[in-house]
Amino acid sequence: MAGMLKRTILATLVPALAALGLAAIVTGAQAQEIDKIAVLVPEQGTDYGWNQQGVDAARAVGAAMGVEVLAAEGLGYGDVRPTLRELAAEGADLMIAHASGYNTAAPEIAAETGVAVAIVDNPGAAAPGLVGDYTVSGHQGAYLAGMLAAQLSRTGTLGIVVSGEPPSWNSQSAGFAMGARSVNADVKLLYAVIGPAAYADAAGGKRVTESVIAAGADIVFGQGDGSTFGMLQAVETVPATDGGKVLFIDVIGDKSEIDKGHLLSSVVWNLVPVYGAMVEDLKGGTFGTVNYAIQLADDSVQLLRTAHISDEVWAGLMDARAGIVAGEIEVPAIWEATDVRAMMSSVEAAE
Amino acid sequence: MSQGLLSDAFLISLIAGAVAAGIPLLLAGLGEQVSEKAGVLNIGIEGMMLFGAYAGFATAFGTGSLWLGFLAGAAGGLVLALLMALFCVRLGLNQIVIGIALTLGADGITALLHHVQFSRTYPRLPRVETLDIPGLSEIPILGPSLFARHPMVYVALFSVLVLTWLFRKTHVGLNLQAAGDKPDALDAAGISVVSTRTWSVLFTGVMAGLGGAYMAMIGAGIFVPFMTGGAGFIAIVLAMLARGRPLWVLIGAFLFGASLSLTTALQVGGVNVPTDVVQMLPFLMVMIVLVLFARRASLPAALGLPYVRGQR
Repeated sequence: MAGMLKRTILATLVPALAALGLAAIVTGAQAQEIDKIAVLVPEQGTDYGWNQQGVDAARAVGAAMGVEVLAAEGLGYGDVRPTLRELAAEGADLMIAHASGYNTAAPEIAAETGVAVAIVDNPGAAAPGLVGDYTVSGHQGAYLAGMLAAQLSRTGTLGIVVSGEPPSWNSQSAGFAMGARSVNADVKLLYAVIGPAAYADAAGGKRVTESVIAAGADIVFGQGDGSTFGMLQAVETVPATDGGKVLFIDVIGDKSEIDKGHLLSSVVWNLVPVYGAMVEDLKGGTFGTVNYAIQLADDSVQLLRTAHISDEVWAGLMDARAGIVAGEIEVPAIWEATDVRAMMSSVEAAE
Repeated sequence: MSQGLLSDAFLISLIAGAVAAGIPLLLAGLGEQVSEKAGVLNIGIEGMMLFGAYAGFATAFGTGSLWLGFLAGAAGGLVLALLMALFCVRLGLNQIVIGIALTLGADGITALLHHVQFSRTYPRLPRVETLDIPGLSEIPILGPSLFARHPMVYVALFSVLVLTWLFRKTHVGLNLQAAGDKPDALDAAGISVVSTRTWSVLFTGVMAGLGGAYMAMIGAGIFVPFMTGGAGFIAIVLAMLARGRPLWVLIGAFLFGASLSLTTALQVGGVNVPTDVVQMLPFLMVMIVLVLFARRASLPAALGLPYVRGQR
């Protein structure tokens, strides 16, 4: 009896273990202990935006999960390979390369050092156990921002100024356009890109935003890193064509602390659930095989409320939020720049 | 062309935007031209602009004076130029390596200083007062966009005339030319090549610093790390393509600025072509125009080569 039981257990366990081992080999994914994670950002983690969200989220995850966090800030937009190697040598188990400009170098260093990396805007580079992509977007929040802008615009013309056309920016631009048109089908949308990767181009942000305002926009939806401050400078110093105030809608962070009265709202991201899931996936051996998302439903995307937004308008926005969460309002993620541009108006149409 | 693209406000903003984008390139490009004329390829100009941008903004914000900001910006560029002169002119080290090192150093130092001083407050400067040139500033569209600018715009334009005169009519210009073309001959004439090159590099630092300060204080109204975004390298290209002619630096800088505004106009006008293609316009236009019309001039024979007396 005992021999039969032994044979049965062996007959069951051996193939099962073999299958698990084969799966691990095939996927390349292996469970591991996580003691230390690193996050790399191009600018300082105090920009009330992309960089700050990345660093703050990593620190929050570290504190919640008892993991040490190494933050490498202000790395610029050049070659980060030396920094990645250094962080790998310091014992990081996961390196979060929080800039689309790093998504070539980081997988290379992951292959070289064997340390897992997380990248953005390049899902095709995902590799089980080694490279995870988190191309996230707050397009659902941007839809609400578009609704808000269309309701409050005096000129009926809205501007969208972006520092580049990475997928995250594209889907939010598209979400904003869809939201605005859901309120006012005739709203004019003026779209301008500062440069191919003008994330820190504050002067370019100001210059382009001033032109968009001069073309009639009285609310500007701006997406950039350092360049956002140039956009803010433009809305603070240039009046709209009707002589009134220009308002600004930001993304990712909350700039209320440094606002001079022009911040209408922001599509605020919370990356803690994403980074937390990455660490869990790395521990569980599924890192690099799953996609990560932020959304209204779990409040990882939220619309910032400021004093410019009345109770009535806010209530309408919250109704729409509920509709999106319930699936009654569909907000598809549109990642391609050509699709986004096709949704915009021209100045000609605006006349 | 639609009425929207032809509205006065939009056209004024585009032309003013071209000026705002062109002035930093003009100032830095003129500085680089002096340095190159003397035989020093000043790759560190990007760092000098960034240092000038930081120093200019910090001073203007602290004192409330844009002119003090410009002074500090010039001084900021000068500090880096001193290092460039020491390592490349006095010690004869590789100009490209030192230039890159200075730029990377400026990237790091200014980012750190910004982090310490401004990263929780992100202060912005108030709207800049302009100097309206009587009569000209009242011309429709062109008046407010070209002749109602900050006085530094006119200073930058005037410096084109000054440098043209300097290069063509003075011994200083001849000395610079000789330091870049035939440093042995200059040395034989009893004029120090090292001193000539040192002063030219320092002048470059001042001009680049002014360009950076203009970018931060007037172009953006704020300083953020890495904000020059390669403008210094574009200035080097302009200076090289202009090949010793200040007027061509002016043309190149404003062509570049105008092309940037054109890209904005095309996008706002709803032209659905890939942004990368639109964004190539400034670079393409500057290269085409300068290669076509400035191709006869040549670069200094000893450009990039350290001078050591008696060494061939």
